[in-house]
Amino acid sequence: MTLAPSLTGTVNPASARLENVCKFYGEFQALKDISLVIPPGKVTCLIGPSGSGKSTLLRCINFLEEYDRGGIWIDDRLIGYETVGGRRMGGRALREMRRDIGMVFQQFNLWPHMTALQNVAEGLERVKGIPRARAHEIASEALAKVGLGDKTGNHPSRLSGGQQQRVAIARAVAMQPRIMLFDEPTSALDPELVGEVLGVMKQLAAEGMTMVVVTHEMGFAAHVADRVVFMERGELVAQGSPAEIFQNPGDRRLAAFLQGYLERNSLEL
Amino acid sequence: MMEFDLFREYGPALLRGLSVTIFCWIVGTACAMALGFVLALVQRGVSARPVQWILRAYVEFIRGTPFLVQLFVLYYGAPMLGLRLDAMPAGLLGLTIYGSPYFAEIFRAGLNAVPVGQIEAARAMGFAPATILRRIMIPVMLVSALPALVNFSIILTKETVILSMITVPEIMFETQTMMAETFAFAESTLVLALFFWVFVETISRIGRRLERRATHYLLDRS
Repeated sequence: MTLAPSLTGTVNPASARLENVCKFYGEFQALKDISLVIPPGKVTCLIGPSGSGKSTLLRCINFLEEYDRGGIWIDDRLIGYETVGGRRMGGRALREMRRDIGMVFQQFNLWPHMTALQNVAEGLERVKGIPRARAHEIASEALAKVGLGDKTGNHPSRLSGGQQQRVAIARAVAMQPRIMLFDEPTSALDPELVGEVLGVMKQLAAEGMTMVVVTHEMGFAAHVADRVVFMERGELVAQGSPAEIFQNPGDRRLAAFLQGYLERNSLEL
Repeated sequence: MMEFDLFREYGPALLRGLSVTIFCWIVGTACAMALGFVLALVQRGVSARPVQWILRAYVEFIRGTPFLVQLFVLYYGAPMLGLRLDAMPAGLLGLTIYGSPYFAEIFRAGLNAVPVGQIEAARAMGFAPATILRRIMIPVMLVSALPALVNFSIILTKETVILSMITVPEIMFETQTMMAETFAFAESTLVLALFFWVFVETISRIGRRLERRATHYLLDRS
């Protein structure tokens, strides 16, 4: 994949900063005082058992999920609220901030009535106001770069899961975001299709994109991530370099989580 | 003995009635769909209690009363309240009001069936709400709602005959005139029934074609 042409052109990667982020669903507290720095141009992986709040946290970064307390800054701009603890941000300002934040979902979420090309071009036309002909040009380049140059006319129903996810990545990247969020991007894929998606993500990482990845792929976290963050029950339990997290897990809960993962995967052999 | 010669004399009037019926159906259905769509959007988008309450009362009142009664209210009752409508406008307004809650329900269910993730993908990219509605939700919704929309539109073709009761000169009205003047009950009603059968069959064929076109991308064609 490293021989493929650049996915992004030039990126100007953004950083993100989370301070004391709390999220409640009624009585239940899904996020407990999360503070975290996402460095620019680096890959940060969020790991942890399901229900630990990692997807919720990720979705707070582009305010798809509304956090209740604390603050999240993209570069130095607070997202979702006008001030910390203040009024909700206006729709227009929020949409403007979201243009810089790409997102890839577990279920791909392509629009079924559009071809792969239209899926990628739609945002360019409707959000960025790029004329159709030019948008289609950009879209077909973006699809070629994820290895789908021959599938531009296919509807999602005629693509495999791995192909759909690569279209979804092309759709996000074509908007030239400065930070990319991945919500379990390979969890819905058949095992043999995981590699092609991770390949594209590795290339994106190599090009210096800021990436936040919620994943169960410990191999990806160990080899591609610059930072690994372990969450459990809405708390940020441990964070560090992959070496610190995987080779020397000091925390008892982290050690138990990794042990469980290893056992499951050796049983599969 | 059937006397089909009578149609030489009454044919033109029946044809006029026929075109009035088709006109009423097209305009009435289109307006009922439009109003139904607006109602569905309001129901989905405005959470204010009083609005929801008024909406529910409207839907229940319209669904809970016969179409004929609604027409009489509009045509005979409303003038007493200062709203004087000719037969045709009253009929079209009646069809619009009568059909709207059913269409609203179809649209509501259809919009709710649009997968949340597809909407979130657009929101995450910075799409404006109106663009999401127009470019994503409506096209995706139509696929699941189309059969029900066609079905209720067909039901409305048959409701148009009730407009004859407030003197709209549609096909039922003209047929009744012919019956009253000639006593040719068998001939006239047979033609009337035949017309509706052809009319409904045509619409359902068009509906099936629309469904095929709307869903072509879901089919696994190589």
